[in-house]
Amino acid sequence: MGGRVSTVRVQERVREHVARGAPVRIVGRGGWLDGGRPVDDFEPLSLADDRAIVEYVAGDLTLTARAGTTLSDIAAATGAEGQWLALDPFGSRNGTLGATIATGSAGPLAHAFGTPRDTVLGLEVVTGGGEIVRAGGRVVKNVAGFDLTRLFTGAWGTLAVITEATVRLRARPERDETVALLVPADGALGDWLARLRILPFTPLALEMVNSPLSATLGLEPAALLLARLGGNDDAVRAQRQLLGALGDMRDVPASVWSTLATAEPNGASVARVSAPPSRLHAIWPVLSRIDAGSLAHATVGRGVVRSICAPSDDGNGQRWLAAIGTCEGTHIFERLPARAWRTIPCRVDDPISRAVRTAFDPARILNRGILGEVA
Amino acid sequence: MALHTETPSRASGPQPEQAQDRRGALIQTEALASLLAAIVGERGVLARPSELSAYSSDGLPGYRLRPRLAVFPHTTQQLVDVVRLLARKQCPFVARGAGTGLSAGALARGDAVVVGLNRLNRIISIDPLNRLAVVEPGAVNVTLSRAAGAYGLHYAPDPSSQTACTIGGNVAENSGGPHCLKYGVTLNHVVALKVILPSGEITTLGNADGEAEGYDLLGAFVGSEGCFGIALEVTVRLTPNPQGVRTLLADFTSIDAGARATSAIIAAGILPAALEMMDGPTIRAVEASIYAAGYPADASAVLLIELDGMDEGLDADVQRVEAHCLAAGARTVRIAANEEERTRLWQGRKKAFGAMGRIAPDLVVQDAVIPRTRLPDVLREIAAIAELRQIQVCNVFHAGDGNLHPNIGYDSRNPDESRRVGLAMRDIMQACIDAGGTITGEHGVGLDKLEYMPKIFSPESLAAQCALRDAFDPERRANPGKVVPVHSCREWVGA
Repeated sequence: MGGRVSTVRVQERVREHVARGAPVRIVGRGGWLDGGRPVDDFEPLSLADDRAIVEYVAGDLTLTARAGTTLSDIAAATGAEGQWLALDPFGSRNGTLGATIATGSAGPLAHAFGTPRDTVLGLEVVTGGGEIVRAGGRVVKNVAGFDLTRLFTGAWGTLAVITEATVRLRARPERDETVALLVPADGALGDWLARLRILPFTPLALEMVNSPLSATLGLEPAALLLARLGGNDDAVRAQRQLLGALGDMRDVPASVWSTLATAEPNGASVARVSAPPSRLHAIWPVLSRIDAGSLAHATVGRGVVRSICAPSDDGNGQRWLAAIGTCEGTHIFERLPARAWRTIPCRVDDPISRAVRTAFDPARILNRGILGEVA
Repeated sequence: MALHTETPSRASGPQPEQAQDRRGALIQTEALASLLAAIVGERGVLARPSELSAYSSDGLPGYRLRPRLAVFPHTTQQLVDVVRLLARKQCPFVARGAGTGLSAGALARGDAVVVGLNRLNRIISIDPLNRLAVVEPGAVNVTLSRAAGAYGLHYAPDPSSQTACTIGGNVAENSGGPHCLKYGVTLNHVVALKVILPSGEITTLGNADGEAEGYDLLGAFVGSEGCFGIALEVTVRLTPNPQGVRTLLADFTSIDAGARATSAIIAAGILPAALEMMDGPTIRAVEASIYAAGYPADASAVLLIELDGMDEGLDADVQRVEAHCLAAGARTVRIAANEEERTRLWQGRKKAFGAMGRIAPDLVVQDAVIPRTRLPDVLREIAAIAELRQIQVCNVFHAGDGNLHPNIGYDSRNPDESRRVGLAMRDIMQACIDAGGTITGEHGVGLDKLEYMPKIFSPESLAAQCALRDAFDPERRANPGKVVPVHSCREWVGA
């Protein structure tokens, strides 16, 4: 199944659900089923079989694929041409392109390449009203019409079912090396991060990991900065010199990034706390040491700390939530136990968001409740 | 494109008379002027036809529309009061920055008031630690980079009109510029907007203090061509000045060779900060002007290529670029020896439109995007169209993005020539669409590209765009009749 035929099938399914008033849960490979708020009383609408690269023009650095295409499918195709889709969301590489875009998921590479909103060039969707809509296009620059591409990206499938996407690719750098530095003590952290921010280059990724997470990654059990360096020989050599001046530096295998992507245990609660990068030194000490087992990592250039609380019965979830609550910044929760969502404010209850939802999913059948919206 | 001298016949949305009928009693213009003057002062309102003449056109020739009135707030509060007054009176309006747009997007039909934002031009704050700046919508693009320069930073989107165009206008159009090849367009640099909706409500989109959550309404607003509301404050990301810059000029004896070099550089994975192309007629126009940059006047095309970043590693990339150019047939590849030479090379590029202006009374600057691998084919096709229609096309464009700017000098007083120019523009747009491209990469749809929207979007997709607009402006009073040809939309199911 693929292409136009599968889009029409999705359309028929959506229309049928609209007619019955029966909600659907959009599913790729299932990696996000515990993400976002609980969605009740739904029937699954699976896109996992709609898995094909529709067009890949290496010379244009663009790729169009069906929503069920996995990130590893795309990596295999583009890797053969020395290119990549520079999105490394947390979770399995068997996650789908559609789910990555729908959830706006990004990983450490966002430091250099941004998030899906910076990468998606065009989308084909079926709206909650059952219409097939194309947004954007297949070229790298496009201002024709109002930007539905950005609207559907990160909307968690509450406006439309993404059936196909065109994304911008990047050339793989000639060299791609990862080094680790010890993160200094709290008192010196602010100055050290400030020096990192003014380095005259942009690493591919610049991620701090706390001590328990370092151990999970098979590294020394200490708070570490992982820096992914890219470029030609001369550039990477110079980057190493500059970073080396900031502390004791050692090489780390590239596999650390894929291990990091899947480091969180099943059933974990996950939150992101973000603040202006200059305030990262204030929130990192709190979130990196909530308790002995909690994992944390921070994207330095974006001021985002991602905190992971392993499931347990000893009340650590409450302590974890309380610790996050003490941090000044924007709190975004990825995964929580169902009961905990009740205290988290809904982010789409403003008049414009409500009007958007009504326009694109008037029967409220798509992923109903996942963003906490009131029906 | 269409060449108009009065009310555009194809403009969608209600025409003034219809608007009056639909909205009931439309306030008398004189009374409205008085109410606006009570907010901004007598000198802040223009009402006489002679005064409004300057606001009857923008950077694109061929269109003239006289607005009902023009009002110029000096402060944010005045702007808020103006928008709220217009909301109470159900009066359509068009926000206008510097009027440098090239799609007739800032023109107001006869029932609409122009809200001029050029007096709201303050840089409110610069936060060098977090590389953010907050500006008013009328702040001129280049003044922000100049101010940020004190901290070793700059604002990356750099349209050719950057010495005049405003940040608010850039937000409306999602403007690009030569250096967006590497650094991204306006969308990638705006982190938050405080906006006033056409209803008069004030809201904040995006998040300057961290990640944004919920629907990407900021992303929707950027590039909405003034149809969703007016930005009161714009928070943008600033970019560190690169440690090193290398600017190369490669010259070719055929456009085809220049296009092949472009495709080869991009396909090789090199990401220049900018990769611009100028064809022979453009080169000669520049060299004959006060902006002469030292381009080889006998060349059929030049590529202006800029690489930046850390000093270490730059020269290796320069050598690779040079090799690709020579392999594609470049006669010479010259590297700017110093900042003075670099500035001169760039001035020629940025002032190319001005240089062309001296060889014909009118100049149409077009804008379309094609897949980069199709550059050689489409440029050949444009040359064939120019020959068929007996017009002179000058190509100066962002080759690295595949963002074409075929420009045509002509005399609008010559009806036959105007007709041929219009036909050529349609042919060129069709060629770009057929190549898998789109109708605008940075200038916007405005009025000029309305007729092409149904060629690239289905009625359902156009209806979806209208639905998004209606979430911000259900009365469609902000910049009415632009961007989406409403008559082409399928009725929006459930809206």
